[in-house]
Amino acid sequence: MLYIKCPYCGYRSQKEFAYGGDGTIKRPELNQNISDEKWDEFVYFRKSPRGKHIELWHHIAGCRQWFQVQRNTVTHEIFQTAKMGEDIK
Amino acid sequence: MTSISSLNFVHKLGKFGDYYEKKDHELLKVSEVNGLLIFQIAKYNKSKFDVSKINIDGLNLPSPLKSSSNLNTRILWFGPDNWLVFSNILDLLAKEKKQFKEENFAITDISNSRTIIELEGNLVNEVLKKGCPLDINNFKEGDCANSVYNGITITIDFISNKPNKVRILGLRSFGESLHHSITDACLEFGYKAI
Repeated sequence: MLYIKCPYCGYRSQKEFAYGGDGTIKRPELNQNISDEKWDEFVYFRKSPRGKHIELWHHIAGCRQWFQVQRNTVTHEIFQTAKMGEDIK
Repeated sequence: MTSISSLNFVHKLGKFGDYYEKKDHELLKVSEVNGLLIFQIAKYNKSKFDVSKINIDGLNLPSPLKSSSNLNTRILWFGPDNWLVFSNILDLLAKEKKQFKEENFAITDISNSRTIIELEGNLVNEVLKKGCPLDINNFKEGDCANSVYNGITITIDFISNKPNKVRILGLRSFGESLHHSITDACLEFGYKAI
């Protein structure tokens, strides 16, 4: 069981959160021509890193906000959490 | 819109569980709170409006994880730029609506979409701990928190410490399950449904 620090509510049990996947994916710019391969990559392809990883979580049973979490996928240690748009060092 | 409570056929009055040889003040008290006006205030992200100017029934909008209250009205923090207002004054929204300009706020009347169960007694925290992952002992009067109870999304409003009293709010559609979960957790201690 993870104990996750929501940037708005503080430390809460993992039971209150939903995992949202890789937090580094950038949506292609709007109104730009984009190849099918690039679009395919954006929609479907994800890395599966071993170690430090920035991911998104949703405090779905709390403040209902999305935020970023830097977590070690091996040890589950959480190094930092941040609001969307904030930098994770 | 129906005004029949979701617990209308579920919440039976009387004493239940291990209430034998216990005095009334030793028992948990479980009641349903209904007939309130409930509305949600959501400030738009792009809005620069200063919410400290808002005054509802003499109350300001509370800071994160806090509530503000008077005899008739309670306001709970529900998330960033998001609050829930509960009031006995059924025309409060009509009276206060002019403070909320459409370009800054979304106001939604959700009076019929919540089930509220009130728990009172010395063992309230023990009942909460049975199904909720929050560190309950750290919460005190004037706090509020969203969480889960046996998997059901809830909001807990810590009304008072002496006597220990909380309100548990769930979505109406989960009301019956929530009531079952709460009363089931109360059986061990004995409870009086009022």
